Amino acid sequence: MRIYADAKLVDACRRGDDGAWNALVERFSRYVYAICIQGFRLSQQDAEDVFQDVFTKVYESLERLRDDDSFRPWLAQMTRRTCVDKLRSAGRASSALASEPPGTEDVLAVLDDALAVREALAKLPETCREILDLFFAQDESYRTIGELLNLPGGTIASRISRCLEKLKVAMEEGASSSRPASG
Amino acid sequence: MIRVKSYGIEELARLLAVVPPAPAGWVSAAQELPAARRDLDALLARAETDAQLCRRLVDDLEAALADSGIQPTRSTVEAARARLRSS
Repeated sequence: MRIYADAKLVDACRRGDDGAWNALVERFSRYVYAICIQGFRLSQQDAEDVFQDVFTKVYESLERLRDDDSFRPWLAQMTRRTCVDKLRSAGRASSALASEPPGTEDVLAVLDDALAVREALAKLPETCREILDLFFAQDESYRTIGELLNLPGGTIASRISRCLEKLKVAMEEGASSSRPASG
Repeated sequence: MIRVKSYGIEELARLLAVVPPAPAGWVSAAQELPAARRDLDALLARAETDAQLCRRLVDDLEAALADSGIQPTRSTVEAARARLRSS
């Protein structure tokens, strides 16, 4: 599976490539959702409003993004501002000083790490992607995973373990390829 | 900034659990945005030469959008309102 860098996706979106837009939304939907729910503890209703507002703003403002490599922090900042606006409009935050719940920075740092893990996950074979996502992110049982993926229930735990090892290797490979060349 | 981190298996498992999927309907609504905007552009262009359609858009925007096959989501309705105001 070919995985495009954020900047390449952003550039393709700007040129009107619907497939790239779909991929961009897919790649960052969890991130935006998690910022709303975990960072700002919005209700599902408010989170849905913010989620749609954020992707609308992204769609309308991509032309103004100066550095395509900075898409993720730009998106995070936009999501934070939209969450704060939502809280303010509901009268739950009255001043800029009280605009973000305590600990938001820490939550966002964890979410950045989680997004890096998901990028590594995207490089694994489909079976590993599905089984790890179903078990950890979607909290499905061994039985449900076995039914969904047509796998014997008794093999799920060992498959999860092997896939986690592969994910660890993918993370390490990603880390070493992002290190600057020495000498 | 280049961040190089190494993770243990337990840390990886914890980070996988941190980002559950957004509801599928929200994702597909966001993905449909470019097509919705194109449909809206075409509808508003038609309204420039079709007085009846123009009146319908002004009288009951949401119904007019729905009748034209455009899902009247909040962002689409707001975009249509802004375009109508500026025209």
